[in-house]
Amino acid sequence: MPLGALLGGSLDLMERAGIDVAVLRDPGRKLALTAPDGTVFITTRPSDVPTYVEAGAADIGIVGRDVLVERDPDVYELLDLGFGACRMAWATREGDDPSDAAIERFGVVTVATKYPRSADIHFSRLGRQTEVVKVNGSVELAALVGLADGIVDLVATGRTLRENGLVEREVIFHSSARLIANRAAYTLRAEEIDAVVAAMRPVVDEGVVE
Amino acid sequence: MNPLERSPERLPTGARDALPGEAAELRRAEDALRRTLRLYGYRELRTPIIEYAGAFERASRDLDEAYRLFDADGSVLVLRPDLTIPAARLIATRMAGHPGAVRASYTGSAFRLPQPGRPRLSEYRQAGAELVGVSGPAADAEIVELLAACLTEAGVAGHRIALGDQAVVNAVLDATVDDPERRTRLRRAAAARDLVAWRHEADGLDPLVAGLPTRRGGADVLERLAADVPAAADACRRFAATLTLLEGSSAGAAVLVDLGIVRARSYYDGVVIEAYAPGADVPVARGGRYDGLSACFGAPRAAVGFGIDLEPLHRAIVAAAGNGDATADGVVLVGGLGAGRATASALRARGIPVVALDDDASVGAALAQAEGWRYVAVPDGAGHRVTDRATGDELTCARIEEDLPSRR
Repeated sequence: MPLGALLGGSLDLMERAGIDVAVLRDPGRKLALTAPDGTVFITTRPSDVPTYVEAGAADIGIVGRDVLVERDPDVYELLDLGFGACRMAWATREGDDPSDAAIERFGVVTVATKYPRSADIHFSRLGRQTEVVKVNGSVELAALVGLADGIVDLVATGRTLRENGLVEREVIFHSSARLIANRAAYTLRAEEIDAVVAAMRPVVDEGVVE
Repeated sequence: MNPLERSPERLPTGARDALPGEAAELRRAEDALRRTLRLYGYRELRTPIIEYAGAFERASRDLDEAYRLFDADGSVLVLRPDLTIPAARLIATRMAGHPGAVRASYTGSAFRLPQPGRPRLSEYRQAGAELVGVSGPAADAEIVELLAACLTEAGVAGHRIALGDQAVVNAVLDATVDDPERRTRLRRAAAARDLVAWRHEADGLDPLVAGLPTRRGGADVLERLAADVPAAADACRRFAATLTLLEGSSAGAAVLVDLGIVRARSYYDGVVIEAYAPGADVPVARGGRYDGLSACFGAPRAAVGFGIDLEPLHRAIVAAAGNGDATADGVVLVGGLGAGRATASALRARGIPVVALDDDASVGAALAQAEGWRYVAVPDGAGHRVTDRATGDELTCARIEEDLPSRR
């Protein structure tokens, strides 16, 4: 289970799908919680969800597509859960897009991002020479103070970008929450995992969880 | 960094030692696999570790992750990145005149460059089988049954063998999707196990096709598919015949039909196999039918086979066995280098390992403890005083070479 922005939607969806998630409503400081039916829920930061699932420490998990693109784990991607919608975008300062000028003068565009793989995939697909700078904090700053020509970052409403005088130039991909499964568990516990998917799919198709 | 500053324990990324305990377990697993393969008439063959890169390029094998080297005249060589293609090469070329079906097996190491941030072995051992020269359900079922027997004999429990069929998937896609590029995108999505991308790409298609990679269960899946897509009925019938043959075999209970198993590599063209077992987070075995592979080395020839990865297999064996009794059958024989030499020989002649010592009893006990030997024997009058570490018994044996074999 991803802590943070996706947790609320995950709990709503699972509850509507008939999965008992009561233990997760009041977790206290516990990180692994056992439901009355024996299901063990593991809560972790979103970027660690694919790690736990890929290694089989968890059989299934919920995580944003952005994390999957960035980590490229060897897992099954079973369902697009619909909620947690956002997009990975390339943004630069307002006014003329500085990347053309950067290419012309230096032959390379400098990109600041927390998502170096997503940035790499995007720009190499476009054939644009880039230098990716990995930052961990507020990425907007990098574009504002000239550390980079622009940023690749996750955008939900676009408000943070606008408030910092940045403009979204290109959408790299759209993201939303995904249900993923460990490869071995997908086969060894096929019936149980298929049942979870079958329970979640109608809720997803209804589109009631935001 | 000065290499001398590195710890002498350090190994290159992806490389690993096996200490005696693990080595013994790996040896036991490999022995069980070899024994089972031999019982089914699969004769062992060996191919070189170093091959021409061209041998793999012929089979369209991606060599991005292969170790490359050069020979004296500048030809590009590789440390073999897998064992299937060399086996296919050998059988297609050197055994082209073989009169009937070729049943061949192999055990060996394959090599791949370690990837940053993705810990895995650069040298990995595999054991596999190839059945070349026969097509049809009987051959497919034989290979699946052999795989199940190998896993069981090696000590794996609770495994499942997922079977897909590339011919069924191809027939369904050819019949229902006109655009060849769209078919490729669908196949690629399934091969990447990205069912979200598949459903997105299948949007607007018959719900049956859209749900293809999530079709799992038993043979009933195929009956419905054959009824809905007549063009795929032949392929479905062949696959169903394989499943019927397996039902009556020891593999039957472990088989799970999963049409979502799709291979990106083009030479797979029939049944596809993936075996999983508790304790291993990656498949313990993979395989399938690849009639097209042989054509890369000469004439096309039907072929079906599998490769078992020893590393995940070992984890699955450990998971199945638990932390059970770790003592090895063997005797630490105090005095075995001196007065007890004849006794040591007599025990060895009966197949019991003997560590012969000249030291006193306390050294013997410490050694047995450290190395996990079951018995410590100390001379006592004309016979021996024996400690059985597995049971805790203290025995007095007049003729140890006759008393111990009866306790096994």
